[in-house]
Amino acid sequence: MTKFLTPWETGLLAVFLATLALNASFAPEFLTIQNQINLFQLSIEKIIVALIMTLVIINAEIDLSVASIMGLSAALFGYLVNVGTPGGLAILICLAAGLVAGMVNAVLIARVGIPSLVVTLAMLIGFRGLARVLVQDNSLGDFPQWFTDLGQKGILGPITLAILLFFILLILLGMTLHRSSFGRQVIVIGTNAEVARFSGLNVARVKTILFLLSALVSALCGLLYAARLGSVRGDTAFGFELDIITMVLLGGVSIFGGKGSMVGVLLSILIILNLRNGMGLMNITGHMQTGVIGILLIASVLLPNLLNDFKSRRRKEA
Amino acid sequence: MMKLSGLALAAGLAASLMGSTAFAEAVTATPGQEVNAVLLPKFLGILPFDQANRGAQEAAAELGSTGKLEFIGPTPENSAAGQVEMLTTATTQKQHVVMLSNNAGDQIAPAAEAAAAAGTKVVTWDSPIPNGAGESFFVAQVDFGSIGVVMADMAFDLAGGAGEVAILSASPDASNQNAWIEAMKGTMASDAKYKDLKLVDVVYGNDQSEESYNKALGLVDKYPDLKVIMAPTTVGIVAAAKAMQDEGLCEKVKVSGLGLPAEMVSYSLNGCAPAFALWSFVDLGYLTYQASYALATGAIKGEVGEEFAAGRMGTFKIEEDPGRAGAKRILMGPFTVYTKDNVEAAAN
Repeated sequence: MTKFLTPWETGLLAVFLATLALNASFAPEFLTIQNQINLFQLSIEKIIVALIMTLVIINAEIDLSVASIMGLSAALFGYLVNVGTPGGLAILICLAAGLVAGMVNAVLIARVGIPSLVVTLAMLIGFRGLARVLVQDNSLGDFPQWFTDLGQKGILGPITLAILLFFILLILLGMTLHRSSFGRQVIVIGTNAEVARFSGLNVARVKTILFLLSALVSALCGLLYAARLGSVRGDTAFGFELDIITMVLLGGVSIFGGKGSMVGVLLSILIILNLRNGMGLMNITGHMQTGVIGILLIASVLLPNLLNDFKSRRRKEA
Repeated sequence: MMKLSGLALAAGLAASLMGSTAFAEAVTATPGQEVNAVLLPKFLGILPFDQANRGAQEAAAELGSTGKLEFIGPTPENSAAGQVEMLTTATTQKQHVVMLSNNAGDQIAPAAEAAAAAGTKVVTWDSPIPNGAGESFFVAQVDFGSIGVVMADMAFDLAGGAGEVAILSASPDASNQNAWIEAMKGTMASDAKYKDLKLVDVVYGNDQSEESYNKALGLVDKYPDLKVIMAPTTVGIVAAAKAMQDEGLCEKVKVSGLGLPAEMVSYSLNGCAPAFALWSFVDLGYLTYQASYALATGAIKGEVGEEFAAGRMGTFKIEEDPGRAGAKRILMGPFTVYTKDNVEAAAN
């Protein structure tokens, strides 16, 4: 097993299996198909964005604006539909708005050279502001029936469109990261952007593509969220960026870039979703759930860093 | 035969004595049945919801339900998404009934409809689902229209009949607060008595103490002539009263709205919040559980016109909700206005 998985991923797999076993033995409803669908569905927008966030962080960048772009896209959809725009056209406009948002990020980061932490932090506030301006203090609903059906009903048996998209993107982005030359460039640049630049890689192009993709996927997820809940407000998807980044880091992706795998992130997603679901079924309240996941994150971020630190110190001493 | 009709007569008499308004037979749910229920507040950690839980637990014990009554809720920051998640989980658990104080607006409607379709009844209390979808009925604390009149009157008295009034509410999607604000606006617009009272702004503190405190200070800065801050939320009213007290503004700006006597007693006595109103959350939780138990056991179907006996609180009736077309409610009422004369007694 360790041939295919890194030690970190093996550890994640063990935690995942333990969570499964706990859930299955303490919550009789856990293994039902409907519960498994709900388990994904309740966090589906976050876990889709986590997939593209994996590539961004491996590239040694970060995109804090994802949740605000989700909110903006959802708010824009609510606004457009309520002023009479046909649903299909509204979707296209929202996705286009996502691309524009991504382009703003990409230009400032890849061309102007401002750190992504600063740019996307500013955009986290800016795009959220736009979303709030669009819907004010209202809650906008009355979406077309086909739109909410797409968000709430299965299209392949009980499997919803969003869940299908998640698995398609998982495979596509996983192959891109680990099996394509673009993926290799993402990793090389993430390891050391200067070296990559000197060896002739078009660093700006790779970063531009990543931030465009990140924003486009976020805008799409904002729409999925709007469809699932049937109405939007200015605070739609507020604070989701932290949950998303949590999933990626727990998956063993290095916050300094260059290291990480899609398998690790998938395992981390499965752990978090199953933990939340299991705790819910066992009637554990929201405060405790947040606490448990917080402790898990502290352990996951501290452990590898402490280990690395320890190893490199020993190496220096030797 | 004689004996039976005599009993029925006695029951009818008792029902009318207990304040039922129309002639109908009130049903009494058989105690001792298994009802698994979840009391799902907007979020955990504030006194009114704990009081509602106390009332619900009291009713559950009285009815001798052999099922469980869980009190679970999300964190305030994750209230809307957390409520959707918890309602979905309760459906998966095949709970018989979920008692929801809704903080997610219509966003919870798909989850409520899914629950109803799967056989988990959704009864709302404190704050309903605005479009009523998926909800069996709403247990209303007081008539939402009458809250408008009381809030307008308190503002009128505190402002001395004329001046600027601002509202500090909870979250923009809290359907109870929104309905009360609309009712207050309606009252002020429809009666010439309030013509010199000017509602200048509505701001939202999201039921977070610090945010509400800052929003209250923001109002004073923005409107130098402000006379009354009306906060129809137990978190907002305390925060606003504290803000005025800390800034020494209590002479100039009075705070009022809906508050818990235990939390408001000092502000009421020192004149920062001379008058405010509320109902008993313990009773609300008690009545909600009684109604939910009757619904879950099939004693009532949840249809307009049905009457049921709710233990120590007497008989209640399901009626159409005047505030939400097509939705149903059970009206608890009435509420109490607290001033320095009665607040101390109620605080203990």
